[in-house]
Amino acid sequence: MNKKIVINTLLNIVMGLLAGALFLLITGKNPITTFYWMFYGALGQPRFVAEMLTRSTPLIFTGLALAIGFKAGVFNIGAEGQLLLGGLTAALVGAYWKIPPFFHPAVALILGALVGAAAGWIPGWMKVKKGINEVVVTILMNYVAIYFTNFLVRGPFKYGYLPRTKPIMDSAKLPVIIPGTRLHFGFVLAILVAFFFHYIFKKTVWGYEFKATGYNPFASRYGGVNTNFMIISSLMISGALAGAAGSVEILGLHHRFYGQFSPGYGFDGIMVALIGRNNPIGVIFAAILLAILRTGSGMVQLKAGVSKEIVWIIQALIILFVAINFSFDRFFKKAGGDAA
Amino acid sequence: MRKLFVVFLAILVIFTVAFAKKPFVVMVTDTAGLGDKSFNDSVWAGIQKAVKDFGIEAKVIQSMEMADYVPNLEEAVKSGADLIVAVGFLIRDSVEEVAKKYPNAKFVMIDAVVPTNNVASMVFREQEIGFVTGALAALVTKTQKIGWVGGMFIPPVERFEVGYRAGVLFVNKNFDRHVKVLIAYVGSFENVPKAKSLALQQFAQGADIVFAGGGKNTLGIFEAAKEYSMKYEKRDGIRRFAIGVDQDQDWIQPGYILTSAMKRVDVAVYSAIKDLVEGKFKGGIYSLGLKGNYLSLSPMKYTKKFVSPEIFGVIERIEEMVENGEIKLPKTRDELKKFNPPAMNF
Repeated sequence: MNKKIVINTLLNIVMGLLAGALFLLITGKNPITTFYWMFYGALGQPRFVAEMLTRSTPLIFTGLALAIGFKAGVFNIGAEGQLLLGGLTAALVGAYWKIPPFFHPAVALILGALVGAAAGWIPGWMKVKKGINEVVVTILMNYVAIYFTNFLVRGPFKYGYLPRTKPIMDSAKLPVIIPGTRLHFGFVLAILVAFFFHYIFKKTVWGYEFKATGYNPFASRYGGVNTNFMIISSLMISGALAGAAGSVEILGLHHRFYGQFSPGYGFDGIMVALIGRNNPIGVIFAAILLAILRTGSGMVQLKAGVSKEIVWIIQALIILFVAINFSFDRFFKKAGGDAA
Repeated sequence: MRKLFVVFLAILVIFTVAFAKKPFVVMVTDTAGLGDKSFNDSVWAGIQKAVKDFGIEAKVIQSMEMADYVPNLEEAVKSGADLIVAVGFLIRDSVEEVAKKYPNAKFVMIDAVVPTNNVASMVFREQEIGFVTGALAALVTKTQKIGWVGGMFIPPVERFEVGYRAGVLFVNKNFDRHVKVLIAYVGSFENVPKAKSLALQQFAQGADIVFAGGGKNTLGIFEAAKEYSMKYEKRDGIRRFAIGVDQDQDWIQPGYILTSAMKRVDVAVYSAIKDLVEGKFKGGIYSLGLKGNYLSLSPMKYTKKFVSPEIFGVIERIEEMVENGEIKLPKTRDELKKFNPPAMNF
């Protein structure tokens, strides 16, 4: 069963590539060299792979944030805002609070995640107490978070005359795990967190009740599950993961908060969760797929002379096919004779 | 024998010329990318001109997100680029990081300073073009009142503002005028509606020329100039103008933009490439001004008829004085307080 999903996904990626190739041919570019450089730029050398994994890190976190929400039946569209709030918190803790090394990034990361969780609690509480749809609340809270962090970074916490905060102290930086690259410890954390939630959903009662709430809240409540608690906690966990995404980016990569450091990782999380079929392990692979497509873009522009916009369209086509997830089951049956 | 030697030498020269590697220039944009109708486009145009004139090879990498800056700059280094061009203050920190990591690579940083000796930082003396623009506005105004709507109060914008006001003081003293300047700031570079309402306020307070100090705000201020003129020009016969900035923006509302105070980033990058081709490229801070045409007024394609030829003569002379350093221009508001405009001599 699992094998089938993997093969199906791979075939869909191939279909996406073919669609992209067709598009490239129409625009008069050579699809073979374009794809060659795209994958070379992400996988062709060890340092490219390291860079690609660096880029997948925030996507794994936000993908998990969304997937966990979806599992409990809530849509946390506010991950982008929670990510910004968490990132800013981590940046401030890293820059202004003197803590011994090792504990410093841990405290910054935990506080960043807590702020994200707090931002997730608000829509959860409103949904449970007042029945307000969490989609609307989280979307609106994104604006609050974006403008609030922008205000702070342009006002009280502006450092120099640019909209950015003071750089974090060396003691607060997440260590680089492969010297000479930018791949930092945040990636390891992301993988650990994914496996942690995989375990929770597979093996614990809490995880079971969590999923049950997503499948059918009414039946779950009848069966003795505290669904209100589940809804609030799912949004808080989702918020915490989004906050951690921002914190890890700041502590591991940018080392200070910039107003525009996120190109929309929070929204990308929706895509990652969908491609990963809301499975924590699937999310890792989905994030890596997206990171491969993105990391290769500089190389494609440099070597194949394809412009940024066309690279974007090709990426969108590939993701579209994976998301549509055409079923190839019929063909398996014919080829394998596995009619059952 | 000697003849043979000469022929041999000639062949050698031809071969080295034919096989010499063309200088390779890579531009790395910020996330605004090409098509921003601003610095990125203008720098790319300057590079294209260098391609035509010097036969160099040039490529551009457009960054999709902030995390792209460092890998894109590194890729440019690894691809063997002889010169890497980066634009805008957002990418500055990444340029510093990569330039320190690869001390043998050469960089041009436009409109920001990276204090590393393999980076040529091209910054502009905005006060100079601000001064000329202020003088022009003070000579053209019919209401003896002009305005300034800035984006954010940051050093380059402050230099523009202070230069503009110094230009007005200079004209007031030398031409016995009493022009006043209204000052307002939007607080952001992208708040078009607020910029527009501030400009409309200044027109309502009697200003007839408003300098649009930067960013997307300019679009709102241009609109304000057109709207106000449409309403009141027939009644009082006074055309309200805006003044564009950074690029030649006169075309955006033709006839309602008196002129644009241009920062010629295209000229700056072109001269850096020229230095590279001639083997004279050196890192360091390049402070660019009116001299060498790095700052200039737009050609005023649509508004020449509103300005008398005598005024153009005066402006030309003022430009000369600034270029020759005959006027010591203030750079900050504090320096402006002490600014004593010199007498104009023809």
